[in-house]
Amino acid sequence: MSSSSYSNSPCAACKFLRRKCLPDCIFAPYFPPEEPQKFANVHKIFGASNVSKLLNEVLPHQREDAVNSLAYEAEARMKDPVYGCVGAISVLQRQVIKLQRELDATNADLIRYACNEMPSTSTSHQYGSRRTGGQGGEGSSVDQNSGYYFPPHWNNDGHE
Amino acid sequence: MTLKGGTSQACAACKYQRRRCSSECPLKPYFPPDQPKMFQNAHKLFGVSNILKILKNLDADQKTEAMRSIIHQANIRDQYPVHGCMGVIKKLRDQIWLAEEELHAVLLQLDMYRQQHYQQQISSSLPDDVVPSQLELGMAPPNNALSLFNHAPQQPYNAVSAAALPIAQQHSYSNNSYSSTYIDSKDNLSNSIWVQHPYAMNNNNNPMAIQSLQVSGIQQEVVHDYDELHPFFDTIDDRQSYIDSKEAYESSSEESLKDTTQSIEHVAENELKTAAACFSLTSVN
Repeated sequence: MSSSSYSNSPCAACKFLRRKCLPDCIFAPYFPPEEPQKFANVHKIFGASNVSKLLNEVLPHQREDAVNSLAYEAEARMKDPVYGCVGAISVLQRQVIKLQRELDATNADLIRYACNEMPSTSTSHQYGSRRTGGQGGEGSSVDQNSGYYFPPHWNNDGHE
Repeated sequence: MTLKGGTSQACAACKYQRRRCSSECPLKPYFPPDQPKMFQNAHKLFGVSNILKILKNLDADQKTEAMRSIIHQANIRDQYPVHGCMGVIKKLRDQIWLAEEELHAVLLQLDMYRQQHYQQQISSSLPDDVVPSQLELGMAPPNNALSLFNHAPQQPYNAVSAAALPIAQQHSYSNNSYSSTYIDSKDNLSNSIWVQHPYAMNNNNNPMAIQSLQVSGIQQEVVHDYDELHPFFDTIDDRQSYIDSKEAYESSSEESLKDTTQSIEHVAENELKTAAACFSLTSVN
């Protein structure tokens, strides 16, 4: 500890692991001693050895992004041990599908108006209240063609 | 025998770690032996010990969900080693932003079409007003239109009074671009005239009245009135004779205060001159 010749203080990783922070420490540029929690989270969820392996596999200029994404995922997993950051992905995917359905239905309505067709009162009420998904055909086609993941399909995605 | 059977049924985790897979293996339900890549990804990102640590404090149902999310997260990291799930989240947020923008634009366009459709519905009520004239001309309305027009003959006066407004509205809506530009140009023109000649402000009290006059063809008379006004104001501007200015004074309205004061000044000047002339004549006499 007293022989920390490289810098004044070791990086957060080396401090946490109580080891000597060498000049070629792979964690030092990305885990400054001022942010000890960042490495603690990453280490608890992924492990220091896994993180160092991942960092060695990417190019040096990509390592900062990789560390930040790992820190984000680790924090999310700490907050939500069951879903982690995948919960956020699921919410966003549902939002995208909902928006896509609404957009398809609105586009269909727009085409109907553009063709000077009289839309039925039920559809106009539906879009007036901005409720969508009533267009069964379009909605189901979105479902069938969507490449989005849902929790029931996660295992299937893993097959690939 | 048991050893051989155990290895044949070993989960992907135990197979990878080359250890015996017991029936109590906690990872057995989640890593089937025919999907080694799935386990490798999870093991590479989390590690078996960390996965077990996460699962330790969870219920059975939560364990299943947690394993699904862990496997999914590890697969994403395998696909995108730099950004992982964060890249997917950013992509989805961009997608949502784009979809919201597109939806907003489409809704705006749809509102425009709805307004046009509404105006068309109003303009489609025009045949209701035309029917009495057709009936007067002895033209029989089509049979399928009878139900629509039944109410019109029963209340002829109301129909006429009620028809007046829709007609005006219909003209302003159906010929939207034309009438608006026409009225605008008319307003600009009239404003430029009426600034110079406040007398004509009386006619500008009701723009709708002017519009209806234009529509019904009385516009010519209005223009005629304007034409008559021009010589009147010309005489004022030219400051011609006392008689002309007096006529202007008598015929001018209350709004043309400027002009009346000017004409009054004219009158005063002329009266002073005549009075001076009379005075000089009497003084001579």
